[in-house]
Amino acid sequence: MATARPGWSRRAQYGLFFSFLALIAGIIVGAILLALSILAPARFESVRGAALDITGPVAGGLHEVTATVEGVFTGAGNYWDAAGQNGQLRRERDQMRRQILQARAILQENRELKAVLQLREHQRDTIAVGRLVGSSLSSPRRFAILSVGSSDGVRIGMPVRSPNGLVGRVIDAGTIASRVLLVSDRANIVPARLLRGGIPVISQGRGDGTIDVRPLEVGRNPFRRGDIIITSGTGGLYPPLVPIARIVKLDDDGAVAMPLADPADTSFAIVEPPYEPAATAEESSP
Amino acid sequence: MVRAALATKRRIGQGPRPLAAFIPAMSVIAASLLAALPVVTTSGWFPDFGFLALISWRLLRSDPWPAWWAAPMGLVNDLFTGLPIGFSVALWTATMLALDLVDRRTMWRDYWIEWVLAAMLISIDEWLQWRVAAITGARVPLVAMAPPLVISICVFPLSAWLVSRIDHWRLGR
Repeated sequence: MATARPGWSRRAQYGLFFSFLALIAGIIVGAILLALSILAPARFESVRGAALDITGPVAGGLHEVTATVEGVFTGAGNYWDAAGQNGQLRRERDQMRRQILQARAILQENRELKAVLQLREHQRDTIAVGRLVGSSLSSPRRFAILSVGSSDGVRIGMPVRSPNGLVGRVIDAGTIASRVLLVSDRANIVPARLLRGGIPVISQGRGDGTIDVRPLEVGRNPFRRGDIIITSGTGGLYPPLVPIARIVKLDDDGAVAMPLADPADTSFAIVEPPYEPAATAEESSP
Repeated sequence: MVRAALATKRRIGQGPRPLAAFIPAMSVIAASLLAALPVVTTSGWFPDFGFLALISWRLLRSDPWPAWWAAPMGLVNDLFTGLPIGFSVALWTATMLALDLVDRRTMWRDYWIEWVLAAMLISIDEWLQWRVAAITGARVPLVAMAPPLVISICVFPLSAWLVSRIDHWRLGR
């Protein structure tokens, strides 16, 4: 279609016209698909899952290579300063030991108090453990690819956490890989509270790797730099008491926080069942 | 005759590679597959590799592939990058159409015009991504789209150069 009229050949003119029609048809089909995937995302679940099964292992295999190379370099770096590091680690260990003893005592006390109150204890079981092998590279949305899928029992909507804190929730599940909506995505809203004082807050991603936190009760800004935000368990999807983020900056009526489970160096992520399956099922049914 | 004598010596057996007609489309799909790189970023400032490859090819030649191939290539890009399905199908096909219309209008082309065209197309792509993200519940401030936009526009010359190298290689020149 480089020229307006490809000469006197009827055939060439028709060819030009039909390629024009094909383009228009392509645009219309694309627009319809886009509308469908915005309005009824469930329709494309299986297709998206199949595509994930192709990308997941590729990313996983390459991830092994980069992790090994990185490991060699950081490993060499650790030898460089072994003596100083040794002393520091020993000091940290002694301090940890004291804290663990304290924590054990508190745990014991807690258990007794709960028994007195006859609170029902939730069993936290793990569905699957996988690695974060990739992420959305060029998009305002924040997704990560997890190396476990529906063959390991992962279902859409399950919360994902790492030993350091909350990672996000599953939004696409392939057979051997799944896609996770990170807590730093704008659409991921987590009911949370401040570890210090237990003030209820709402955490929402900002799309650039950080999180916005707002108090539920408007008024005084309750945040301080360095505060830890933990999940509250409200809503029934995320389990309570999972650390989410640390506050790094205050603004007018809230604060900006950095996720504790940085997906860039989270090696393992744990998929858990929804905390209160009944509550989330009710929510997703209509 | 004189001209032929002055031309560089062609080696015997040199010519287009096998499947030369499919190499442009395959390279675009390969660029889309870069989304499977094992990079976990928190900012998402990488350029849209598939789209960059598409416009680099289309700005280099008017016929890298039959125009309607943009639709299936867009579908592949949607599936691998995690964009809502149909986004790239519509956008890429519309891009082909828009560049056909531009080809009819422009009297002459040079590198700066191509870069400006590419910058406009990339801006439209980023703006639409932002719009669709806002519709699907992730309304980020528009300012947050500035860094990836600038990075993509700066990466375009590199992509254009790579594509021209691939074109030389595929035609056996």
